[in-house]
Amino acid sequence: MLGKLCGNPLNGTSKHEPAAQAAVGASVPEYSASSITVLEGLEAVRKRPGMYIGDTSVYGLHHLVYEVVDNSVDEALAKAATEIIVTIHVDGSVSVKDDGRGIPVGPHPTVRGMDTVDVVMTKLHAGGKFENSAYKVSGGLHGVGVSVVNALSEWLRLEIARNGKVYQQRYARGMPQQQVTEVGTTDKRGTTVWFKPDPTVFETTDFQFDVLSQRLRELAFLNAGLKISITDERSQKSHLFEFQGGIVSFIEFLNKSKDVLHSPVFFKAEKDGVALEIAMQWNDAYDERIYTFANNINTHEGGSHLVGFKSALTRTINGYAERGGLWKDLKETPTGEDAREGLAAVISIKLPNPQFEGQTKTKLGNSEVKGLVEQMVNEQLLIWLEENPTGAKRIVAKIGDATRARIAARKARETVRRKGVLDGMSLPGKLADCQSKDPSESELYIVEGDSAGGSAKQGRDRRNQAILPLRGKILNVEKTRFDKMLTSQEIVALITALGTGIGKEGDFDPDKCRYHRIILMTDADVDGSHIRTLLLTFFYRQMQELITRGYLFVAQPPLYKVTRGKKELFLKDQRGLDEHLMRIGVDRCAVVQSESDEDREIRGNDLRNLLEAIRQYEERLGKLARRRDPRILDALVQAARVDETTLLDMDHLNAEVEKVHGWLRARYPEVLAQLKAFRKDDPEHQAKKLVFRTEVNGSPKETVLDHAFLSSPEYGELLDLRRTFDQLGPAPWTVKLEEGERVALRVQDILAAVLADASRGLAIQRFKGLGEMNPEQLWDTTMNPDSRTLLQVRVEDAVESDEIFSLLMGEAVEPRREFIEKNALDVQNLDI
Amino acid sequence: MGSVERIVPCPVCKKPAEPRSRNTTFPFCSDRCRRIDLGRWFGEEYRVPSPPAEGEEQPPAPDDASER
Repeated sequence: MLGKLCGNPLNGTSKHEPAAQAAVGASVPEYSASSITVLEGLEAVRKRPGMYIGDTSVYGLHHLVYEVVDNSVDEALAKAATEIIVTIHVDGSVSVKDDGRGIPVGPHPTVRGMDTVDVVMTKLHAGGKFENSAYKVSGGLHGVGVSVVNALSEWLRLEIARNGKVYQQRYARGMPQQQVTEVGTTDKRGTTVWFKPDPTVFETTDFQFDVLSQRLRELAFLNAGLKISITDERSQKSHLFEFQGGIVSFIEFLNKSKDVLHSPVFFKAEKDGVALEIAMQWNDAYDERIYTFANNINTHEGGSHLVGFKSALTRTINGYAERGGLWKDLKETPTGEDAREGLAAVISIKLPNPQFEGQTKTKLGNSEVKGLVEQMVNEQLLIWLEENPTGAKRIVAKIGDATRARIAARKARETVRRKGVLDGMSLPGKLADCQSKDPSESELYIVEGDSAGGSAKQGRDRRNQAILPLRGKILNVEKTRFDKMLTSQEIVALITALGTGIGKEGDFDPDKCRYHRIILMTDADVDGSHIRTLLLTFFYRQMQELITRGYLFVAQPPLYKVTRGKKELFLKDQRGLDEHLMRIGVDRCAVVQSESDEDREIRGNDLRNLLEAIRQYEERLGKLARRRDPRILDALVQAARVDETTLLDMDHLNAEVEKVHGWLRARYPEVLAQLKAFRKDDPEHQAKKLVFRTEVNGSPKETVLDHAFLSSPEYGELLDLRRTFDQLGPAPWTVKLEEGERVALRVQDILAAVLADASRGLAIQRFKGLGEMNPEQLWDTTMNPDSRTLLQVRVEDAVESDEIFSLLMGEAVEPRREFIEKNALDVQNLDI
Repeated sequence: MGSVERIVPCPVCKKPAEPRSRNTTFPFCSDRCRRIDLGRWFGEEYRVPSPPAEGEEQPPAPDDASER
C-alpha cells in the first residue's frame, strides 16, 4: 500500500483509530495517521523530475509504476497484502491495486487542516520509511514515495478500502481536486492508485508490457508467495506471477534452458535485523549471472553484499577442493572468475537502513553487510558441498575446466602480444615475399619442408608469388610413433605473413590479408596430408573468412613422374597417367575385330575412343561394386542383353542367364563355384527379379537384378558404353601390340594389354615429396598459373578437415589408430 | 540439405555452435572456446599422429578404387 506512513507499534497509536485497527487484525503493526512526517512540497519535483526518478524517458516513466508497486510490496513485506494487480489501460494510464491495509483516512495529526491521504499524496518524503519502524525494511528505489508519482501525473485517482468504507480522491498534476470523499461501504480493504503520466513532463508515455513484466516477475520471485498480475488492456496480454519457491524459482527460471550441474542451492539467514537469502546453481554454459537485491531493489552496481558473496564463494570452494586433493593437476589456483563461470545466483538482502550509492544509486553501501554475507556463505556453502558430493564434484570439475581454459586463452593472448602478431610490422624471416604489394594479384605458397621451400623460392615468379616454408615439427612419442605439429613460431609466422592478425573480431581482419591466393603446397604422402589437415583446420577455426572469401587453395603437385631416357614427364594423378599411356599405346597397338572378313583392325582415333570407353566402363563398374558383385554385372553387360522388359519374359530371361553363366565360366570360374542364383516374383511390376549370391573376398554379396536396377541411369550408362564395344564383335579378340599379340576375353583386358605395352621402356615413379622436383619442374607442374591446377577450398571441405582433425586428436587411442590406418590414403583426397 | 547452416559441435566444448549467420565466433560456440583453441595452437597441443611406421611407409597403392 501506499503508505510510507506507518504506525509504530511500540508507541501505541491506537488512540486514533482503535476500532478499525482491531478489524484489520491484531497481528499486524498499527498503521494510522499519527506518524506522518512532512518534509517538502511538490514544486521541486515538477521542476527537476530527473532528480527524483532518474530521467524523464523510458526509465523514469516505468519507474513511476515501480514506485507505486513498491509501496504495495511493502504492505506484503509487512504481511498485510497478498496480491497486487497492475493494469495498463487503453488510454495509457496505469492502475495498481493491492489488498493491503489502505492509506489512513482522516485529519492529519500534525499537518493542520489536511487529510492524511492528501499529506501522503502531496508531501515529499511523507512516509514511514524514514522512521524505520512499521515495516522494518522497505523498498522504493529513491525513497521518494507516491507523492512524486502524483506530482508527475496528468491525473491520479485514489480509491481506498478501509474500515469497511470506500474513499476516493482525485488529483491533477499533484493538486487535490476535492476533499477525500466517502463513496460507499465494503468488506474488503486495500488501495488502488490509478494515474496517467504527464505528457508535458515525459518524453514518452508509452508503457512497455515486457519491461514492466520483467520487474514484476522479479518482485514476485523476491517475495515468495506474493501474487502479482499484470494485464495490458491495449494488447490483451497478461501475466500472473506467483512463486512459492521464491528466489529458488528465480534460479530455476534463469537456468530453464540450460543444462544444470546440480539442484539449486539455497541458504537463508537472519542476523541483527538483516535477512539474507541466497540461491545459486551452476550450469554448463560460460556466462556468469548474479542478481543482487537489497530490499527488493535490483542493485545493478553490486555493492557490499556482492563483494562478500564473491570472496566467500571462491575461498570456500577452493578450500573444499584443495582439502579433497581435487585440483592437483591444476597449474594455478582458480580465480573468482573461474569459480563463477556458468553460475546463476540470486542474492536478496533485506535490511533496515540501506545505503544506496553509485551512479544510478544501485550499489549497496552498507559495509557491515559484507562480513555478514561472507560468514554465511562460508558456513552454509561448505555444509552444502559436504552433503552433496555429486553436485560438488561436478562444480569442482567445471571450475577446473574454466581454469584450464583461462590459462589456454591467456597463452594465446600473451603469444599474440609478445610476438607482435597484431603489429604487422615485421614479416617473418622465413618468408620470401613477392614484389607486388597488391593483394588481389599476390599469392602466398605455404610450402611444407625446407628443401621444397628452397625449390619453390627459386622456381617462383617473384613478381607476385611469395613463399613461406613451414616444417611440421616431428616429435618422437614412442619408438614407432611420431607426432607432427606446427610450432607456435610457425603459426605466428603464418599469421604475420598474412598480415590479418588473429583473435576476436577486430583483432582478426581479413581485409588486411596481404594475399588473395593462399596456396597450401604439401607432399602427396600421408605426412603431407596431415600437415595439410592441420593447416586447413587452423584456417577453418581461426581464419574462416579467408575461406569463405575464396582465398584458400590447395596446390596439386604431380603424383607421377614418367621417365623415358632423358625425357621426364609429370602427371597429376592416376587418370593423367592412364591418359598418357593411352596416347602412347594408341600409336602402336590395334585390336582385331572378331568375325570380320578381312581381319579389320581398330586403331588410331577409333582405338583411343574405345579405350576411353573401356576406362569409363571400369570406373562405373567400380562405383556399382560397393553393393553388388562387379563380376556378375560385368557378365551381364558384356555377355547378355538384358533390360527391364526382359524380366517380363521367362524364356528370354532364362536364355540370357544362360549366357551370363557361360561368360562367367570362361572368365571367372571361381564365381560359378559359389554362385547361387534365385528367381523371385516382383508383383509390383508383374515381373520376376533375379538374385545372385556370391562371395567377394570372403564376404557374401547379393546382386539383385530387378526392375529398379535395370531401369536405373547407372545401368543405362553401362549399356551405352557397351554399345561402343559392339563394334568389336564377340570375344575373344586379338590385341596387336608392339611386341607380339595378346588374346582378350574381356574389354578390360584390351585396355590392360595396351597400357602394359605402353609402359614398357618407361620408368614410372610415384612421387612422394615436392623436394624430388627441381625448381623448374616445380614451377612447370605446380606453380605456373598457365599450367597448374589449384583446388579452391570451400568451407564444407574444411568442415570435413576439422572432423578428421578431431578424430586424429581424439583421446581414444584404438579407434584413432584404426582410423589412421584405414583412412591414411583417403585423407589425401579430402579436398577433392 | 543446407550445408551452410549445418549445426556443428564446437571444436572445444562439443556443445552445438550456432550457425555462422548468427555467430561471429563460428565454428566455436563462444569467444571463450575460440580463445582456448588459439591457446592450444600456440601451446603446441595439437599433434597429428603419423601412421605407425614399420620400417617403410606404406606405399599408397594406386589401385583403381582409390581414384574417383
